[in-house]
Amino acid sequence: MTNAPTNVRPEVAARAVSAEVTAIDAHARWPILFLLGSALGWLVISGVLALITSIQVHSPAYLADCPWLTFGRAQALRETAFVYGWAANAGLAIALWVLGRLGGYPLRALNWAVVGTLFWNVGVAVGLVGIATGDMTSFSLLQLPRYVQPLLAFAYAAIAIPGVLAWGGRRTEGTYAAQWYGVAALFLFPWLLIGAQAVLGWFPLRGTAQAVAAGWYAQGAWTLWLAPLALAGAYYILPKITGRVVPTYESAPLGFWTLIFAGAWTGGRHLIGGPVPAWVPTMAVVASGLLTFHYLVIALNFRPIFGARGTAAKFIRFGLVAYLLTGGLEFLTAFRGIAVQTQFTFLSTAIEQLGLYGGISMLLFGAIYYMVPRLTGNAWASTGLTVGHRVLVMAAVVLLVVTLAVAGGSQAADLLDPKIGLGDIYGRIRLALLLSSGAELLLLAANLLLLVNFCRTACVCRTDTATTPLFQEPGTLEVHVS
Amino acid sequence: MKNGLVFFLGVFAALAISFAGIVLGSHAQLGRLAPYFDENEGQAFPLRTAGIATRGQYVYADLGCAACHTQQVRRPDFGSDQARGWGERQSVARDYIHQPRPQLGASRLGPDLANLGGRKPTPPTEADLYKLLYEGSPRHPAYQFLFDRRAVTGEPSPRAVQVEAGRQIVPTERAQSLVAYLLSLNTPYDYPEARPVQPPAKPAANAPAPEKPAVTPIPAAAPDEKQPLPKK
Repeated sequence: MTNAPTNVRPEVAARAVSAEVTAIDAHARWPILFLLGSALGWLVISGVLALITSIQVHSPAYLADCPWLTFGRAQALRETAFVYGWAANAGLAIALWVLGRLGGYPLRALNWAVVGTLFWNVGVAVGLVGIATGDMTSFSLLQLPRYVQPLLAFAYAAIAIPGVLAWGGRRTEGTYAAQWYGVAALFLFPWLLIGAQAVLGWFPLRGTAQAVAAGWYAQGAWTLWLAPLALAGAYYILPKITGRVVPTYESAPLGFWTLIFAGAWTGGRHLIGGPVPAWVPTMAVVASGLLTFHYLVIALNFRPIFGARGTAAKFIRFGLVAYLLTGGLEFLTAFRGIAVQTQFTFLSTAIEQLGLYGGISMLLFGAIYYMVPRLTGNAWASTGLTVGHRVLVMAAVVLLVVTLAVAGGSQAADLLDPKIGLGDIYGRIRLALLLSSGAELLLLAANLLLLVNFCRTACVCRTDTATTPLFQEPGTLEVHVS
Repeated sequence: MKNGLVFFLGVFAALAISFAGIVLGSHAQLGRLAPYFDENEGQAFPLRTAGIATRGQYVYADLGCAACHTQQVRRPDFGSDQARGWGERQSVARDYIHQPRPQLGASRLGPDLANLGGRKPTPPTEADLYKLLYEGSPRHPAYQFLFDRRAVTGEPSPRAVQVEAGRQIVPTERAQSLVAYLLSLNTPYDYPEARPVQPPAKPAANAPAPEKPAVTPIPAAAPDEKQPLPKK
């Protein structure tokens, strides 16, 4: 169960090179580019919304007259566009591509994926309009109105069909870690969404049991859906860009099953001290402890990334560090002694942004930078745009997380002191919040660069399936844009 | 992982077990939570809210107020909630059993609102809240879209936040529902489960040993019917 040979000999490498653009890629090109284009469009839209909300935090009067963009609605819009627009589309594209390649045959039933993508994006757009007009659910990570949730579940299932078929009809009997994570994410999300709809929408639970169910969904979306989608791409690309076997690969199943079994149990972390049964946050502490095995395995498996070169490697390296940091911080903040400081503050926001932007998005960016040239048959259109996006987005994520953490640290200390009024608390963190708006502006600019670069690369897409001279040395493809 | 069916069953079982454990488990505990009947007061708590206040909860939810305000008071040794005057006891699950969509919230950009209608020493009035919603404050946006500008016919409306030159600014039905909801937020009743657990007092080192109780201690569980009762 290895992903790539160690110490690749030149002739072996040449054979591998000739397989870089295959009939599998050509067959899946347009459906996957459709998903990726949608993802990047939503990423820019969510960036605009994130900028608006970050300004509203320190200047509450900003756009207050616009009922569509109250702070609460804009937050829900931002989160929904980011998770269901950007991360879902990009993660699905990567999972389908990885499963197609590892399955060994061109993806089947891609018509389902195209129709599903169309309906998924229509569903997200209708959901955003619904949120803006007052139909949001007010559950974290599930703000979409009730009436679009079934559409999204069916659309997602349709997109997932080619991936599941590729898994079922794979050429080899053995399987790889990239396949486990990809298939698990494709298979589990519709069930997760339907389960949440059942207990929060169709037959709402009583009282604060709704908060427990919402926590289960939010943590499930993170651990059973977004993280596996991102890890599927990273596990596939890692041996290819390092030219080495994944170290300690025999422990990869432990990392996978720990995440899948313990992940959703950590949903009670945010309810510590709240009006819910005490065992709910206690179970979250235990599950968070178990999840450290997952993060440990990921750290061991991805060690070679620290010696790799290329744009994809740099994004995956950044994403890996952020992902592991998020795991560690989530474990620490599951304890009551620490939660009393971090709960309800910008520290929680900083950890969330570290996970979603620093972890998941960076891993997705890495996979996109590796995947798009192999799908389109072209190198990235502009080296300058690639470098600009990488530098800007990494700097902006660091700035965003640090400023939110600084604001959250001050807020946490002050909230514990009842003599300090709320006005004073927010007066002290205004500078940090202003800087976080700057970080959001940088993120928006960076993602616009990526969108332009992607459009320019995809619009000159080749239609032939033959291996082009460019891919005789795919290593240069990664290196020359770094 | 070679067997695809076993793999699918495994991941599905992981999801199903977590759903059963967390969601159905908490539902089993909270789903049958009944109002607490106080014989001295002759009524059950929590009290049901008026229809307009229930409608107001939907306005609160759809505007996204929970993005800045929580509605949960934690116990005295966990944060400064009670010291800030946001409540006199910790919130418990029974407080929310009549709420169709409890808004616990996850961020405190603004104050906790679990007991806004019962703030000490003086709770805000309807006029205070209309003024805040219309004019805003340095820390709160003004939601003027919740108000209508109308001509004054006869006497100005008692709810008008501004009257000038024959025109008045009056709250819409949504604003009235929202304010009714905010003023209904109060959890004054002290349920048994809301009282903090007092740790048992430790006996002093030189204190005499407690005497043997004169009465037979009550058994922890009811005796089995088939088993003979102990002779006295």
